[in-house]
Amino acid sequence: MSLIVRASIATLVLTALALPGAAQPGIPPLPHPALHLFPPSARESVAAAYERAAERSGDAGAAGVLGSVLHAWDQWDAAHDAYSRAQALDPRAFEWHYLDGIALQRLARHAEAAARFRRAHDLSPGFLPAHVRLADALLEAGELDQSGVLFVALIRHDATAGLGHFGLGRIAALRGDHATAISRLELAVGLVPVWGAAHYALALSYRAEGRRADATRALERHAEHGPSWPALEDPVLASVTALREDAVANLQRGLRLADAGDLAGAIAAHEAALALDPALAQAHANLISLYGRSQDWTRAEEHYRTVLDLGFGLDAAHYDYGVLLAMQGKWKAAADAYRRAIDVNPLHARAHNNLGGLLEREQEIEAAAVSYRQAVTSEPLFRLARFNVARLLLVGGRLDEAIEELEKIVHPRDAEAPLYLFALAGAHLKGGQKEQGIRWAREARQLASAHAQHGLVAAINRALDMLK
Amino acid sequence: MTGPRAPSPLLRLAAAALAMLVNLSAGAPAGQPPPDALFIESAQAAGLVFRHVNGATGQYYLAEEMGAGVALFDYDKDGDLDVYLVQGEPLGSTGEPVATPPTSRLFRNDLTVDSDGRSLRFTDVTEHAGLALRAHGMGVAVADYDNDGWLDLYVTCFGSNRLYRNLGDGSFADVTSHARVDDARWSTSAAFVDFDRDGHLDLYVTNYVDFTVAGNRLCYDSLGARDYCSPRVYRAVPDSLFHNLGNGRFTDVTEAAGISKARGAGLGVTTGDYNGDGWLDLYVANDATPNQLWINQGDGTFLDEGLISGSAVNAVGNAEGSMGIASGDFDADGDEDLFVTNLAGETFVLYVNDGSGNFQDARTPWGLAAPTAAFTGFGTDWLDYDNDGRQDLFVANGGVNLVEAQRGEARPFRMRDQLFRQLASGRFEEVSATAGPAFAQMEIGRGAAFGDIDNDGDVDIVVANNGGPVMMLLNQTGSQNHWLQVRLEGAPRNRFGLGAWVGVERRGAPTLWRRVKTDGSYLSASDVRIHVGLGPSAALTGIVVHWPEGQRERWTEVAGDRLVILRRGTGQSP
Repeated sequence: MSLIVRASIATLVLTALALPGAAQPGIPPLPHPALHLFPPSARESVAAAYERAAERSGDAGAAGVLGSVLHAWDQWDAAHDAYSRAQALDPRAFEWHYLDGIALQRLARHAEAAARFRRAHDLSPGFLPAHVRLADALLEAGELDQSGVLFVALIRHDATAGLGHFGLGRIAALRGDHATAISRLELAVGLVPVWGAAHYALALSYRAEGRRADATRALERHAEHGPSWPALEDPVLASVTALREDAVANLQRGLRLADAGDLAGAIAAHEAALALDPALAQAHANLISLYGRSQDWTRAEEHYRTVLDLGFGLDAAHYDYGVLLAMQGKWKAAADAYRRAIDVNPLHARAHNNLGGLLEREQEIEAAAVSYRQAVTSEPLFRLARFNVARLLLVGGRLDEAIEELEKIVHPRDAEAPLYLFALAGAHLKGGQKEQGIRWAREARQLASAHAQHGLVAAINRALDMLK
Repeated sequence: MTGPRAPSPLLRLAAAALAMLVNLSAGAPAGQPPPDALFIESAQAAGLVFRHVNGATGQYYLAEEMGAGVALFDYDKDGDLDVYLVQGEPLGSTGEPVATPPTSRLFRNDLTVDSDGRSLRFTDVTEHAGLALRAHGMGVAVADYDNDGWLDLYVTCFGSNRLYRNLGDGSFADVTSHARVDDARWSTSAAFVDFDRDGHLDLYVTNYVDFTVAGNRLCYDSLGARDYCSPRVYRAVPDSLFHNLGNGRFTDVTEAAGISKARGAGLGVTTGDYNGDGWLDLYVANDATPNQLWINQGDGTFLDEGLISGSAVNAVGNAEGSMGIASGDFDADGDEDLFVTNLAGETFVLYVNDGSGNFQDARTPWGLAAPTAAFTGFGTDWLDYDNDGRQDLFVANGGVNLVEAQRGEARPFRMRDQLFRQLASGRFEEVSATAGPAFAQMEIGRGAAFGDIDNDGDVDIVVANNGGPVMMLLNQTGSQNHWLQVRLEGAPRNRFGLGAWVGVERRGAPTLWRRVKTDGSYLSASDVRIHVGLGPSAALTGIVVHWPEGQRERWTEVAGDRLVILRRGTGQSP
C-alpha cells in the first residue's frame, strides 16, 4: 500500500471521528439549521429543537421533533436529514418513516418516498394515511399490481372506500380496461360526489368507450367541483402543521375559514396574522372585503388605507373598497374607487362592470355600455357583464345584437343560466317571435325551479300568464 | 436548510488527501470539455455575445422572471441560420438613468465552409437591421407573412407587440400599426398558421395574466422572504387570433373564431393536425390553468377539446405549470404527440396521441417522470441529436421560485438543462451527464431554438437564459449516422410551406413524419427546415409532402446527407 494511500485512509478515519454523531457509526448526522435565515418568530423554536436533539444524540424523538419543526417551515432537505437520523435511532417508530416519506415527495424523490411509506405501513398497518400515500406512490411509479392490492384493502374502510375505488379505476384505465374503470370510478363519485378528480378520470374513460355525452357531463362535474379531494384525517401531519404559527400560517388559516363561510373566524385569523406581521399586505387586503361583508365599514376603510400606504395589490384594494362603498350607497365614491382600480389594471373586468352599473344608475347609458363592453373585452367569459351588454342593447331596441350576446351565455346550464334564458325569451318576444320566446321562458322556468330560484320562477310564470 | 460550518483542521487535511487521490486518477485536463462531449457551448467563442436583462430591481415584478425567447432563422437567405435574441428592460422606476439601454439583438451568421473546415462567426447587425427594440420583450415568432420570400418577425412584449417586415436588403420595417396586429396586453408565445387554408399565414398570440407594475402583489417564500408570486394571484387574459387578409393587414377574429370561449394564462403555443383531418389545429400551454387544444372546425372556427382529449390537465384533473411544448411524431406512428414542461414537483408530461386527437398521459411508462421531477422546464423540442432515426428531447430548465440550496446567492433560480435520448425500446434515458460540461452549467433557462447552425448535418440549440448569457450548444455527434434536411418552397403562397406535413420514406423502415413549423418550445422560433435522422442507412424511397392547402406531392429522386429543396408543383401525385 503506497504512502499516499495509507495517509489518506488515516485522515479519513480521523475525519469520520470529527463529524457530529460520529460516535454512532451508521447514524446520519443532525442537520444544522442556519437560524439567521428563519424569521424571528421561528428562531426560538428551531433553535430549541436543534439544541435538544444535539444534547440527546441517542434520542430518536428529539431528532424527529427537529425534523418536524423543519418540515413545518418547508425545509425539506433538512427535515429529511433529521428524519433519517430519527429512523436510524429508532427504526420501529413509524411516524418518522411516514413524515420522511412526505418530505421526500416534496423533494420529488418518489421512489424513496414510496419505500418510507411502505415501512410506515408495515409498522402501523392501521394508519390509513400511510396506506393511502403508499398506494398512490406505487401507482405513480407504475407499480400497478402492488398498488392494486393496497387499493383493494382501502375499500374495506368507510373513510377510504372512495379512494380505493378511485385508485382501482385509475389502474384499470392505465391498463386500457375502461369498462372496469368506469364501474370503479362511478362507485367513487357515488361515495364522494364532489370529487373533481374522480369525475375527470371518469370522463376520460367514458370518452375511451365512445360515450361522449357522458364524458361531457362528467367534465362539467369536474369543472364544478375543481381540485377538491376527500378529506382523510391525518393527526401525524396535523401535528407538524400546528408547529408553525407565523403570520403566513395564520393568513392561510384565515383564507380556509373564509372559504368555509366562517367570517368571524377568518377575520380573527387575519388579525392574528397582522399582530405577528403588521406589514403583511395580503392580510390587510383581505380584511377590506371581510370587514365589508360584516358591515364594519370603519375597520374595512382602515385596512384599505394601510394597503395604499404599503403600495401592493392596489387594483384589488381599490375594487374591494368600491364594493363596500356601493354597499353603503355611496355611489360616486364607489365609482371613483372603481376608476382607480382600472387605472392600476385596465383589464380589471369586474371594476369595469361595476362602474357600468353605477353609470347606468346615473342614466349615463352610453358610458355604461362602454364600461360593460370593456368588461367583456377584458374577460369574454364574464357572463354577467355580457348580460349587461345585452340588456342595454335590448333597451336600445337592438334586438338581434342582444340575442347574439345572450346566446353566448346560456351555457352551461348552471345556476346563472335561468336569468339569461329568461332574458333571451324576452328578447324574442320583443321581436315578435312568440313561439321561441315561450320556449326559452319555459326552459328558464324549469332550470330556475331546479335551482330553487322561486322569485325568478314566479316572475316567469307571470310573464307566461300575460301571454295567454 | 443548513448554514455553512467552518471546516476543522482534520477535515481540511482529509479533503486535501482526497483531492490528491482524485487528481492522480483523473486523466482529463482541467477546463477542457471531454473529447466525447455531445454538445459544446460556443456562444462567446463565435461572437454570439448577449446577456439578457430581466430588469430585476428587488420588487419581484412577475414579468421579470418570464423572459425571454430566441429565434433561429435565415434572414438574409445566405443559407445559414442567424440569431435574434429578445431583450428585457427594467420595469417601474429605478431612479437611475441607463447610459446604453439594452435592446433586442440580431446576429448575422457569417459561417464559412472551405477546405480548411467550418468557421462559425456571428456579427451583431441589429442597428443596420432596424431591430433594436427597446421594450420588455418576451418572445418571437418567425414566418413569411406577406409571401415575398423573406422571413419576418413578430416580437411579443409585456406591453405592445411588434411586427417587423423583412425588406430583403438586410433591414426590417416596423409595420405593426399598418398590419393591425398589436396586442398591448402581456403577450408571450406566438405562432403563424394558415388556419383557413387560403395561402396566407394567420397569427395566434398567447397572452398571460393581467399583472401590472402598479398592481404588483406581495408574496413570500417558505421562510417569509420576498419571492415572485404565482400567476394564480392574477387573472388569466384571453389570447388573440388575427386573420391575414393577404394585403399586408390582419383582422382580429378572436371572437368570431371562438377563441374567446376559453381562457388561460398562455405561455406556449404550437401548431399541428392533432386529429388528422387535414386542418391545422393549435395547442396552447397555460400556466396553472388547463391547456387548450383548439381543434380547427374547417369553417373559420375552433373548439377547445383540451379536457376531453386528455391533453389539458394531469391524470387527476389538475392543471400543471405548462410552459414549453414539443409537438411532433416522436414514436413514428404517423400522428403528432405533445411533450409539455412543468414546474418542479409536477414532472414533465408526455401526451401520446392515439391518432384521433385523444391523448394518454404517458410520462411514467416512457421514463420521463422521475428524471424531471426536480426541474422547472421551459424551452423544449424533439430533436434527433445523434441522427439514429429516433426523436430525442432537450429541455432548458430554470426555476421560478427560490431554489432552497441557492438561498442567499445572486440569481437563486438556477438549474441545469437536460438531454434525453430515446432508446430502441421506446423509453427515454437521460444522458445529460455524458452530454458535455454545458449540461452541468446552472442557469435560468427559458427560450430554446433548434436548427443546424453550422450546416454540418446535426441539430444545434441556442438557449436564452433569464438575466444571463445566451448559450449556443453546438452538436458534436457529427456524421455517425445519416440525415436529411428539407426546405419547402411553396410559392406563390405560404412560401416556406409552414404547416406542411412531410414524410420521409425509408427503404425497410417506417416513414418519418415531420411538420414544417417554426413554433413550439417557449417564446422561441426554430429553423423552418425540417431535419430528419436516418440512422445507419441513407436509403430513401421518396419524400411525400402534404401541403397545408390540401395538395399532395411526392418526390422519388432523393438522397440523404444533404439539404433538399422541394418546390411546389415539381413533384408527382402520390
